[in-house]
Amino acid sequence: MPTAFINGLTVNYLRLDGRSDTGPRPVAVFVHGLGTDSLASFYLTLAAPVSAAGIDVLAYDLRGHGRSGRPPEGYTLADFTADLTGLLDELAVDRPVHLVGNSFGGTLAFAVAAAHPDRVASVVSIESEPPTPAWADRLHRTLRAVKRDLAREDTYLWLASTFGNHHARLSRQAYDRMCTTTMVEDIPRGPLLGLADLDRIACPVLSIIGDEGFQADDPHLLETLLRTCRTVIIDDQDHSVLVEAHREVRRLVIDWVYEFDPAAETAGVVPVPWQERAG
Amino acid sequence: MTSPSFPTPAVGGPGAAVSTDAVLTEVASMIIKILDGYGADDLGIGMETSFHDDLEMESIDLVTLAGMLTRTYGADVNLAEYLADKDLDEVIDLTIGDIVTYVVGCAGHLDRVGRVGRD
Repeated sequence: MPTAFINGLTVNYLRLDGRSDTGPRPVAVFVHGLGTDSLASFYLTLAAPVSAAGIDVLAYDLRGHGRSGRPPEGYTLADFTADLTGLLDELAVDRPVHLVGNSFGGTLAFAVAAAHPDRVASVVSIESEPPTPAWADRLHRTLRAVKRDLAREDTYLWLASTFGNHHARLSRQAYDRMCTTTMVEDIPRGPLLGLADLDRIACPVLSIIGDEGFQADDPHLLETLLRTCRTVIIDDQDHSVLVEAHREVRRLVIDWVYEFDPAAETAGVVPVPWQERAG
Repeated sequence: MTSPSFPTPAVGGPGAAVSTDAVLTEVASMIIKILDGYGADDLGIGMETSFHDDLEMESIDLVTLAGMLTRTYGADVNLAEYLADKDLDEVIDLTIGDIVTYVVGCAGHLDRVGRVGRD
């Protein structure tokens, strides 16, 4: 996989050019979540169908994850934001992009949209919420609890017996990252967004959540926080909606990009349904 | 980046190896390289070997393998497309044989349209 050197570290990324010759193509940037996640979760689900629909795809490993560099410190949202914009600069992506973020990746997408509104055409938030003080408080407590649990050997026995050895091994790697970096302390520090900051996010937002996911208690929260937000609730899904319901998610993402991308409109591009194209 | 441990076929050109045995050998070589020799060569990689349970490979390793396959067999061997219609359980249960069969199928198609020769 190609790599770029951004902000002093190696960033692993993947590009799939959209299959369309009808002019400037929309660009979707896939941003994965924390812990054991990497660009693979998007590569295995959305990358090919979205690319086949004529949308340029860029996915990358966040710092400390996948095959990107893992500095011992520097894990605030400002650091993650600088990596993303740095990668766009390095790859000469100068038109506004559609940020598609899963879990923490969606939170980062909101941070980028607030800090660089001119670079973001829209946000697709999958089981995510903006980096508000309430989010930071919950995440900090969650990360500390996870780190405490993963320090116990019997946790891995339980993980192995419940989810399999593979999951237990990945969790051990995640614990190693927690112990060798300042990730747990840095991420909840933000910079966080208050109501006035959220009001500056002018781009349209699509919030995709599972009816049993992290926002099950308040599924329309984002609509109350943001100017323009549409919520889609997928039935019988928890926080893993991206991988468990990827067919539905990719349909939503493709339709969303074509609804809100000016290039698609001017070029007259009509998205080809994945099932028809693949068949 | 093609593994130096086996002859490098021209990408999508004459000489690209598309028999099941040849692809299995090629894929095994790629995996040993990805795993950086962490005992993978001692595992006797075969068609039934699973990526997750037997080789303990991570999802990101599949992405690396996908790049190697495309560079060796051409852009029509697109693992992202192949995997995009699978459910999570199917990806977890993926075997070397699944990948080899997919590559052979792609290469067979290419052969029919005259873009890839056989060894």
